[in-house]
Amino acid sequence: MSESREVDADDASVIERSRREPEAFAEVFRRYAPDIKRYVMRRLGADAAEDVVAETFLAAFRQRDRYDLTRANARPWLYGIATNLMGRHVRTEVQQLRVLERMGTDPVMASFTERSDERLSAAASRRALAGALARLPAGHRDALLLVAWGDLSYTEAAQALNVRVGTVRSRINRARTKLRKQLGATPSVNFVCEEPVHE
Amino acid sequence: MNEMTELERFRSDVPELGMADVRAEERRLLSVLQDTARRPERPTARAPRRAPRRHRLRIGLAGAGLAAAAVAAGAVVVTTGGDPEPSPIVHTMPVASVQVLERAADNAARTQELHPKPGQFLVFESRSMNPVEGSTGGHEERYLERTKSKTWLPVEGHSTRGVAQVEVLAPKPYPGWPIPPEARRKVGWSAPERIGGVDNRAEHLRNDYAYLSRLPADPAKMYQHLYTGLGTGPQADVVAWQNVGNMLSDAYMPAAQRAALFRAAGAIHGVTTVGHAVDAAGRTGVAVALTTPDSGIRDEYIFDEDTYQYLGQRVVVTNAAQGGAPVGTVLTNSAQLKVSVADRAPAVD
Repeated sequence: MSESREVDADDASVIERSRREPEAFAEVFRRYAPDIKRYVMRRLGADAAEDVVAETFLAAFRQRDRYDLTRANARPWLYGIATNLMGRHVRTEVQQLRVLERMGTDPVMASFTERSDERLSAAASRRALAGALARLPAGHRDALLLVAWGDLSYTEAAQALNVRVGTVRSRINRARTKLRKQLGATPSVNFVCEEPVHE
Repeated sequence: MNEMTELERFRSDVPELGMADVRAEERRLLSVLQDTARRPERPTARAPRRAPRRHRLRIGLAGAGLAAAAVAAGAVVVTTGGDPEPSPIVHTMPVASVQVLERAADNAARTQELHPKPGQFLVFESRSMNPVEGSTGGHEERYLERTKSKTWLPVEGHSTRGVAQVEVLAPKPYPGWPIPPEARRKVGWSAPERIGGVDNRAEHLRNDYAYLSRLPADPAKMYQHLYTGLGTGPQADVVAWQNVGNMLSDAYMPAAQRAALFRAAGAIHGVTTVGHAVDAAGRTGVAVALTTPDSGIRDEYIFDEDTYQYLGQRVVVTNAAQGGAPVGTVLTNSAQLKVSVADRAPAVD
């Protein structure tokens, strides 16, 4: 198990090797865990992140036989698994966004911001954005955030969500339109036109 | 400013992370990788669908939502190494019980008690069935492996110093999959082997006799022990329930602690009696279970209907789509046949 072998190998070869040598899978973790954890923290906060990230890599390890080895880059696969697991926390995610919208304080950022006055001073636009994100159907929010925060391309987001690229494109377009509308609206209007949450 | 720029800035203060920020998750993965690598008799075996004993070091407080976020305010963001910090949540045992577990508690003292001494070994004779997912020559395969084993575990200290002798029995088909010929070739006895490996379990997950016999005999305190390091909500309940299973399988404790354990287990939210169940040795008993949310399976512990003695455990599919097999499929099954005390374990190379 020489280190040099691991440095150059693409994700698919590391995963293929882990089918015979399970411990090789640790390399997949090293490559992606910090990024995925930050992504999950940004959506759900620090508390849920540890469990989601641990479960993501355990699930990936168990599914490594089903990994399509023609895909050299495992990033979409792993973000897809993480997205599925985050689906269990959709209620928490939406609640936290709504707290930010209504109170101007972001529960997700509570553990990262030391000064309480910073937390209290969320701009009206951020509150509006949180409200708009909370109202998006979960699948639209997933597609939008995989691209905006997860740095996935549309094709990669499609692989992650197991949908066609066209679907990702239309979800993101619709989500962006709603965000734009919400950001243009005044805060008072926000409260009046509240729609039910699609979960 | 357009909506995408606004979105990119949103929560962008979440710091960039490095490997030091994912150590707890890494430990959980590595223990499974090592477990999988340690089974030399089936080099192509996948990790079981769900390891029968998962050592989860810490669970997120997702269910607690905003309350948890409030507790975490101003605290260190990411745990980097070390044992779980003591949970700030006080776990008060609710007034709830499951009749089977109450009876098991009432009957705990009625079996002849073993009094193992330091330096001795507890000997467990058991049967089990576990799913094996593997591939040979790019060909995916899946079957249910059945074993009969005798395990010598030290009275004090980690099971890694124990010895196991395993007989592989004829395999059973996994629903919808043919039994691979390879699986049949493994049938037979193996020489006693040291269990070995690394036990990096947190202290509160120990299940050796010396540790278990020091646990409180008070059900409310035992209940707190089951929730050590856990939050609240369904995920925490599942882990607490699995902790019970971990203390029953290949483990032995004095009657007082056993009675407390059964009463505490009956107070875990969501635990119910699910009716008759057959253990891995073919004995019928009555099962109590907790369903794992969103995973389509439930963990059952089986008790004798007359004596309320613990018989074994099963994992059963309750939702076909989530569980990956038809409803009612028994994914893992075990039976504890006999527990005795020995002065020494068989010699191994």
